[in-house]
Amino acid sequence: MTEAEFVRAYEIVGADFTNAGRASTSIKETLKNMGLASALIRRVAIAAYEAEMNTVMYARRATMTLHVTPAGVTIDVQDEGPGIPDIQLAMQEGYSTATAAMREMGFGAGMGLPNIKRNTDEFVITSEVQRGTTLVMKVHLN
Amino acid sequence: MSDTVETGAAPRSAAGPSGARSLAEVRAAVNGVTLWCPDDSPAVTGVVAADLMSDVLVDARPGNLLVTGLVNVQVIRTAAIADLAAVVFARGKAVPAEVVDLARQMNVPVFASRDTLFEAAGRLYAVFGSGSAELGARRQV
Repeated sequence: MTEAEFVRAYEIVGADFTNAGRASTSIKETLKNMGLASALIRRVAIAAYEAEMNTVMYARRATMTLHVTPAGVTIDVQDEGPGIPDIQLAMQEGYSTATAAMREMGFGAGMGLPNIKRNTDEFVITSEVQRGTTLVMKVHLN
Repeated sequence: MSDTVETGAAPRSAAGPSGARSLAEVRAAVNGVTLWCPDDSPAVTGVVAADLMSDVLVDARPGNLLVTGLVNVQVIRTAAIADLAAVVFARGKAVPAEVVDLARQMNVPVFASRDTLFEAAGRLYAVFGSGSAELGARRQV
């Protein structure tokens, strides 16, 4: 089955706290302009923002790509960075390796990955230490 | 009726939809100074008070007011992403112009209060009433 697909990619730069959140804000605007339901848009936006902040805090750079099809919204994030040695541990609420500087920005409570899982219908995370981490986040339209 | 209360949101407060308050009411409750607010009539569905935006992204409901002691641009981005009604910067902290500028760009009303976070939260709790489920909403999406 062939489906019309909207694709847009965003580049995210590590440690760039000034612009952190701009990609997610743009994704939210794009979905709003498409006329999707506000509840769905909010879930996607929160998941994207959590992922974007993780990239800015921990990785050197990442590409975040938005895909919209009639079936749903998918966002994948591929970063270049230190990777996550123990994903199961990172998925636990409250577990964090954030620095004091990250917490001063208001992040690093150890809630990011669990909150992505909570706001998405499908969430796959893979990581290779010293290489990077890949997230695939899907929210179904129906 | 708008769709500010969404699928998965906590039940409405005991007072029902009328449990919502206007921005003008919540601003008055915390003796807030308006930094940017084009219209103080929109409804506020409840309150979330936190300095960690990570926690706000988990606990806040659409239409909630955020009360925080954190003052930076990520507060505004978080409020916009989470569909919050407005932000009150507590503890009398100076709010940089870039924060107010971003709030204007992102259409997030912002106020400043000299109250501590504890005082502001207490006054707002009194306004919304202890029966507000929105106030106690935790970790349910």
